[in-house]
Amino acid sequence: MKNALAAELSKLLSLPAIWIAVAVGILVAPAIAVIRSFQELFEIEKSVQTAVEYPIGFEELGFGVMGVIIVGVIAISSEYFTESEESGGGRQLTTSLTANPSRIRFLMSKASAVATVSAILAIIAIALTLVAVRIILAEHAPELGIADISRFIGVVCYWVLTALMAFGITILTRHAALPMAVLLLNTSVVSVTYLLTRVTPLANYLPDMAGIRMFVEIKDAGSPLTPIWGGVVMAAWVTALLSIGTVTFCRRDL
Amino acid sequence: MITIEQLTKRRGSHNILNGISFKAKPGRVTGFLGPNGAGKSSALRILLGLDRATSGTALVNGVPYVQLTDPLTTVGAVFDGSGAHRLRTGRAHLNWIVRSAGLPRSRVNEVLEMVGLAHAASKRVGRYSLGMARRLGLAAALLGDPEILILDEPTNGLDPEGIRWLRTFLRERAASGRTVLLSSHLMGETAETVDDIVILNKGHIVASGTLTDIVGSHKTLEDAFFAFTARRDIS
Repeated sequence: MKNALAAELSKLLSLPAIWIAVAVGILVAPAIAVIRSFQELFEIEKSVQTAVEYPIGFEELGFGVMGVIIVGVIAISSEYFTESEESGGGRQLTTSLTANPSRIRFLMSKASAVATVSAILAIIAIALTLVAVRIILAEHAPELGIADISRFIGVVCYWVLTALMAFGITILTRHAALPMAVLLLNTSVVSVTYLLTRVTPLANYLPDMAGIRMFVEIKDAGSPLTPIWGGVVMAAWVTALLSIGTVTFCRRDL
Repeated sequence: MITIEQLTKRRGSHNILNGISFKAKPGRVTGFLGPNGAGKSSALRILLGLDRATSGTALVNGVPYVQLTDPLTTVGAVFDGSGAHRLRTGRAHLNWIVRSAGLPRSRVNEVLEMVGLAHAASKRVGRYSLGMARRLGLAAALLGDPEILILDEPTNGLDPEGIRWLRTFLRERAASGRTVLLSSHLMGETAETVDDIVILNKGHIVASGTLTDIVGSHKTLEDAFFAFTARRDIS
């Protein structure tokens, strides 16, 4: 298993697309935090408000998750990426499964590699975001206390679970286009899951809406979940998806 | 030793393989011949656990491939193309395979030299010619210095020099007591490389035996091949 994990990390880190994922993962949240910090500072200096009225930094970390969505998707889609006709039209998956013939162990080591990279990206993004907020807002930055530690853990869990969700969906679709489009759009341009909370409170139990409760409270969504239960609900979704993905993957011909 | 026993593969209502049985023995190069679509690749893919058999067994040293503890030092396999992601470099591709098998990193340079690809190791695989891609596939198969080689149409895309090199290389592997199983639809090339032959047509084995047995009274292996495959077509 150790060798299989090392191989999967090596594969993931030698794909050019991983660097887009890393850049998005560690830069999006701090970049949004910088812009919003300047807006807040401007308001404070104009004396419109005296302090930042929301936990700046955390909401932004919800957007940075786009980076790990890319990680989760490409970990699987790169296996199915077909070589050009001139090169014989092969796929890496054939090599992967001859090197690691147990399909369950193959998926487990791949999922572990995705989780490891995602957790590291989350920790770097948290650090950069908080430093950016602190540098710009200085004494106006919200105080951080012991209670925030569980929120940081929540961010890391949310990133890892989101990456594994993208991974699980891609096992089923085999190609990047659909999971990449749906998950990235839902995170960035328009959050369909958030809009659905306006229609039914049940939408708070959808994976991203439940998971984000681990570190942010979206007030107008009216989520009935506590941070811990939000994490449990998201983890249940991810477990279900990975289970379906694993059964499907183990049963199909390549 | 490779042992295929009563192997059947059904897709929809169509039988791709109809209870085929044969062996590939150590110290011999076994040629698995048949026209395109005969079921050769399907049989090899089942042997490596990539596809599932409907019934029957395909064993490597007496066990299914998926149960081998050290697959890469037991079997080296070459399928379509290079088996590498086209945006990775040749070296990066071999590096992850070496890691997965816990082999020494020095093997990467050794196999690159062996297949004549050292000069292109830092190039992305997508920029390789077909011949280079096949060489990379072979390099990957050789990383574990396996006792068994399984090659699906290995000469596709190779230039005459590459074909000649491969022939000598495979003969040397067999001479050192290893097992080589290769599929092909090129008779002339195969006749110069193999000891044993299995001819597959439309999912049935129509002939098997040593090269001498199969050629028999025919002038060439090609003549024998067409005689055997035509016989099946008529029946």
